[in-house]
Amino acid sequence: MADLGRMIATKQVSPVEVVRVHLDRIAALDPKLRAFITVCADAALESGRAAEADLMAGKAVGPLHGVPWAPKDLYSTKGIRTTGGSKILADSVPSDDATVVARLARAGAILLGKLNMHEFAYGPEGVNAHYGDTRNPWSAEAHRIAGGSSSGSGVAVAAGLAPGSLGSDTGGSIRIPASLCGITGLKPTYGRVSRAGGLPLAWSMDHVGPMARSARDCALMLGAIAGYDPADPTTSVLPVPDYGAALTGDVRGLRVGLLRAHFTDVAAADVRAAVEAAAKRLEQAGAVVDEVNLTQVTHVATASAAIVASEALAYHAPWMRSRPQDYQPDVRERLRVGAFVNGAHYVRSQQIRAFLTREIDEVLARRDVLLAPATPLAAPVLGERETMLGDGPSDVRAALLRCTRPFNFSGHPACAAPCGFTAGGLPIGLQVVGRPFDEATVLRVVDAYQRLTDWHTRRPAAA
Amino acid sequence: MLARMEISVESLRRAAALGGFAWTDAELEAIRPAVQRLLESLEQLEHLPLGDVEPTTQYRVL
Repeated sequence: MADLGRMIATKQVSPVEVVRVHLDRIAALDPKLRAFITVCADAALESGRAAEADLMAGKAVGPLHGVPWAPKDLYSTKGIRTTGGSKILADSVPSDDATVVARLARAGAILLGKLNMHEFAYGPEGVNAHYGDTRNPWSAEAHRIAGGSSSGSGVAVAAGLAPGSLGSDTGGSIRIPASLCGITGLKPTYGRVSRAGGLPLAWSMDHVGPMARSARDCALMLGAIAGYDPADPTTSVLPVPDYGAALTGDVRGLRVGLLRAHFTDVAAADVRAAVEAAAKRLEQAGAVVDEVNLTQVTHVATASAAIVASEALAYHAPWMRSRPQDYQPDVRERLRVGAFVNGAHYVRSQQIRAFLTREIDEVLARRDVLLAPATPLAAPVLGERETMLGDGPSDVRAALLRCTRPFNFSGHPACAAPCGFTAGGLPIGLQVVGRPFDEATVLRVVDAYQRLTDWHTRRPAAA
Repeated sequence: MLARMEISVESLRRAAALGGFAWTDAELEAIRPAVQRLLESLEQLEHLPLGDVEPTTQYRVL
């Protein structure tokens, strides 16, 4: 996105041509990849022509002027249907843009369409019974999942159908598809980016963030969308720093903690090796790396499930009473389970949440960032139910969520980025976790790593 | 506690009805193992030494 924006601003390429190239790619590849639910070809070309006219008239433009992007289809878009990946909202056309959509439009970015997702964002596999299952572009033969819930975002960016996207992340829904699709995805601190105009999964755990090819591109998008929004009472009034200026490429002296138990140590062997190699690479670049464990993290899965199930059912209860048959089966079953979590369970889970948050804060008081796998496994085959991790067999769904949801629980910023490939050619994702509202350091570390490696520049053959 | 006993479809039906949900026995049987697992896991949280840790009610709004 940064490169495209620069080329557009200096009139090396026309925004109309950039839009047209992406629309051509969507037409050619998306029937198989299923990344898009809605393509807005005419509107995108119209926006491209307007962007070009502004340039030719000599108007001042920002770094995203004329750059195409596409959001997960749970962000409201004025006049464009917003389905949440559901049958229930298949014909829902909002009258306003979500705050983040409006902010990117103001920055000059051009919306190509709306992206596929796990129905109502309630699943880490990224499958969808209504609009088709996305296909991971890194696997030519087997149909492997893209990861979710922001599956279309992961596929679109990886396959070059859109240079950038916005995902949402309640248990890992930005970082899981980023990991499985070999792209970069940032879950900012809770409160850093407005959720207004996005469909909720669980209000207290939902985060909005960018998905793109590099930390630099994520920094560009984050700068455009971050900041206080009166429409979202959880947004912070803290000023938004210049994230691009933080990308110095220098990690000398930064204190990096490699998360061992529950994270790196239980990952599949090739994932573990790649994450350890990434830590070594940062150490060679001058970071001070040590190893660390979180004592309460094993309880996150249960407590997080109780909180998400309760909040999700609270939102979906009217439809679960009136039209349960319109949900895809796995989502309907997860929502039903929420009916049996009581108030005491919910509050107890929030106690665990406070305890873990405090523990992560204490660990980060002595370190600048933490490292872990983004996912402890590479992309599973569609329908695969069980996988083998370092500590034995695991349910695929639980495995996908294992390394990411502790930081939804705590609200810390966390970024997934490619750090290698399996022997079978599937991407492996690294996760960098930072202090609250210190996305700048998280992005600085990922960017420095991306200057030292080329994993993030590789493209799937299908693209 | 509820989670220590085998959860029956009947008990699920009654609990769901309290929440205003009228699900069939087949639908309840489909989720019964997941509910059983979750409630057993939640019961384990009761035994953690959390002391006077207050539950999270505010999410770092600054």
